[in-house]
Amino acid sequence: MNTFRWWRGILLAFFLLAIIRVFLPLPFSNEIIIFSIYVMGCSFLLGRVGFISFGQPAYLATGAYATAFYLFYFGANPFIGILIGVVAGLVMSLIVGPLFVRLRSDYFALVNLALAVIFYYTMQKVLAPITQGDNGLWFLANMTSTPIIDITRPKEFFTFAFLAALAIWALFKYLNDTLYGACALASKVNEDKVQFLGYSNFKIRFFGFIVANVTTAFAGSLYAIYLGFVSPEITSAHRCADPVVVTILGGVGTLYGPLVGAIAFTGMKDLIAGLIGNWELFIGFLLVFIMLAGEKGIWGSLEPQLKKVFSGKRV
Amino acid sequence: MNQSDILTVGNLNVSYGESKVLFDIEMGVKPGHVVACVGRNGAGKSTLLKSIAGFLKNVSGTIAFDGASLLGMMAYDVAKLGIKYIPQDKKVFSDLTVRENLELGSYATKDYNWEQVTDYFPKLKALMDRKAGFLSGGERQMLMIGRAILGNPKILLIDEPTEGLAPSIVAHLRDVFKELSKKTALVIVEQNLPLVCAISEKIYAIKEGRIVKELVGEKISASICEGYL
Amino acid sequence: MDTQLLASGVIFGLSIGSIYFLMAIGLSLCFGLMRIISLDQLFYYAVGAYITYTISVYSGSVWLGALGGMIVAAVCAFAVERFIFLRIYERDIAFTMITSFGILIGGVGIIKAIWGLAPRPVLMPIMTQWTILGTEVPVYRLIVILIAALVYGLIWVFLNKTIIGKAIRAGIESVEHVEGLGINVYRLFTITFIIAGTLSGLAGGLHAPLIMVDPNMGLEVMPFIFMVVIIGGLGSIKGTLISALIVGQVFSIGALIYAPLAQMAPFAIMLLILLIKPTGLYGSKLLKR
Repeated sequence: MNTFRWWRGILLAFFLLAIIRVFLPLPFSNEIIIFSIYVMGCSFLLGRVGFISFGQPAYLATGAYATAFYLFYFGANPFIGILIGVVAGLVMSLIVGPLFVRLRSDYFALVNLALAVIFYYTMQKVLAPITQGDNGLWFLANMTSTPIIDITRPKEFFTFAFLAALAIWALFKYLNDTLYGACALASKVNEDKVQFLGYSNFKIRFFGFIVANVTTAFAGSLYAIYLGFVSPEITSAHRCADPVVVTILGGVGTLYGPLVGAIAFTGMKDLIAGLIGNWELFIGFLLVFIMLAGEKGIWGSLEPQLKKVFSGKRV
Repeated sequence: MNQSDILTVGNLNVSYGESKVLFDIEMGVKPGHVVACVGRNGAGKSTLLKSIAGFLKNVSGTIAFDGASLLGMMAYDVAKLGIKYIPQDKKVFSDLTVRENLELGSYATKDYNWEQVTDYFPKLKALMDRKAGFLSGGERQMLMIGRAILGNPKILLIDEPTEGLAPSIVAHLRDVFKELSKKTALVIVEQNLPLVCAISEKIYAIKEGRIVKELVGEKISASICEGYL
Repeated sequence: MDTQLLASGVIFGLSIGSIYFLMAIGLSLCFGLMRIISLDQLFYYAVGAYITYTISVYSGSVWLGALGGMIVAAVCAFAVERFIFLRIYERDIAFTMITSFGILIGGVGIIKAIWGLAPRPVLMPIMTQWTILGTEVPVYRLIVILIAALVYGLIWVFLNKTIIGKAIRAGIESVEHVEGLGINVYRLFTITFIIAGTLSGLAGGLHAPLIMVDPNMGLEVMPFIFMVVIIGGLGSIKGTLISALIVGQVFSIGALIYAPLAQMAPFAIMLLILLIKPTGLYGSKLLKR
């Protein structure tokens, strides 16, 4: 019974996602699922570790480019590509993590932004002979079909991404319930007291940083496989705040926030861009409104209502 | 006893987020009196002063000054009414000179009569153009009190004024407080019991956020207070 | 590298650094006093540039345009401060940062709605070139440097010689103590915010003839401005000036050596400085109050 309870929320969220898949076109669903994995990392950083990062695209691009390099130059198996993307994300976090996590949260946000910009120019200009600059690497045709689940086809890609997202969700939920989750939250609220209890803020944050950014790199790999090409656009400064915006839209620190936020963001972007062609105006003011109205986001505001409805039915 | 209180605090409850710090505090201060609050670290003494001065938000109950409620007022408006809070951190504006520190006090109150300050603290005269960051602990405390008494405040709320200061300066401050109390009511939070007992008309002992003892007039003695530390 | 190239590189760097400085000083003051990271300054920068464009098209004068840009940017900053920031000063820094980002994005939307998507050119008001050390230098760039130097002087006088400025400097150390003296700190906040917005508008107006004016210009310059603020140390005026000069020079000299270095070298330097001193060159260990 307890296990069922534990899984209930997740299953419910994914049930909704499955319904979305039925009613909405496949590209849209794929976009949403990758985007929500991407946002999960950022949401974890902001909600649990208390770090706001305007540089998530740097880690996204790490995963995407690692996968792209492999598939363009060396191999053909997309799964190995993903694996390499994840490992690249891990290596990246291990290198920059120790330097970044000791910064104050405001510097952290800006330094990450700087990293994203460095990455952008590296890929666009410095490594242009390898990355083909703004044209990007095209490798859709290089990928071979894989047995059991062929992620080079959008339909089966959705199934794979869906399961992966489910697994990551479960991982984050598990982390939140463990001692680590409690420590991370405590260090976000009051770092001094955590130290008095004998835990290291540095270790807590470093671990959170790695988990979040490996997840982000994984999302990057998925983007690469799904689109079949990678260009520096993925880490341009315009896109830097998207994950933060979506995290806020969904509600900081809630587990379903990233999913709800990703649906809302992608949906609104498409819808508003189609209707009035000026989505920034809308998103911007929505963001300010959400912050002023209590920072709970769409899911954060809905959750209590839904809980009421569901618990009422059960009783 | 026929004089009425200039400051009354009634049924005051204060909390920081989820945790409650002060419970049903009742106190009264008469004009020109010195009232002291004693108690252990973390008993809520500083919180009491800060909530009177308007720095805290989660405050319920009544705080009345001359019959008007101070609750919900901005801290700078409270200060303008003549209730000045002198925090315990001894943080003067270290990048500014002593003169500039005093200028700010004058700017807020439109009182440019600095002689009252230099009468109490002649030492400051020679230090006017020195950056406040280079002052000693005692000089900083003098400057903080000095810039607060500009504008003739009705009540001074002083948080641990003698903490970490040399005995000679403590003695000097004691004389200053006696002198000040002729025209200003003082509410002092202090651990130095001999000083407190020598100058106060009333002492509140605070323990775990509640007033556990109120001593008035002749009943004040260091040995009784000691029991609450 | 010959001296001619170097001289023009240095002047180019100084003019870019001047514009970064004008923007970064407002951000730095806002952080120092109010502990907010006001990303919306980049919106006032774009507003300043667009107003300059519009006025220069109708009146033919870029200088008049820059003046108009400053005024409109100040009005925008005042409105935003009144209706949004006044409610959220108490919140933590991540909160204000995200809210100000919402304002920035919304502002980009407003600009797109009014001026459209296409980039607009602004003509240089002075086409004259002077020969310095054997190289042709546009006089306009020299004037930009002069204006920035003038602004630095004015800000210095304001902060050191006027009572409001002294109160702002005191507030950077401790807002609570200023409040405790009976000074209305929210009025100081409003004044500081308007100064920041005005300078951002001026930066936009002066930058407009050197680049194309486009709706995303604020976002494009954002990483560089923040780099300047971070290298200098949040909240320090002197640090901001020095780091703006460093970044401007690294930007232009780097470009002379190897073109892609222009954008990357400043960031590499920033990472290096943070590695040695996590609070920037002149940043103090100020924490959220």
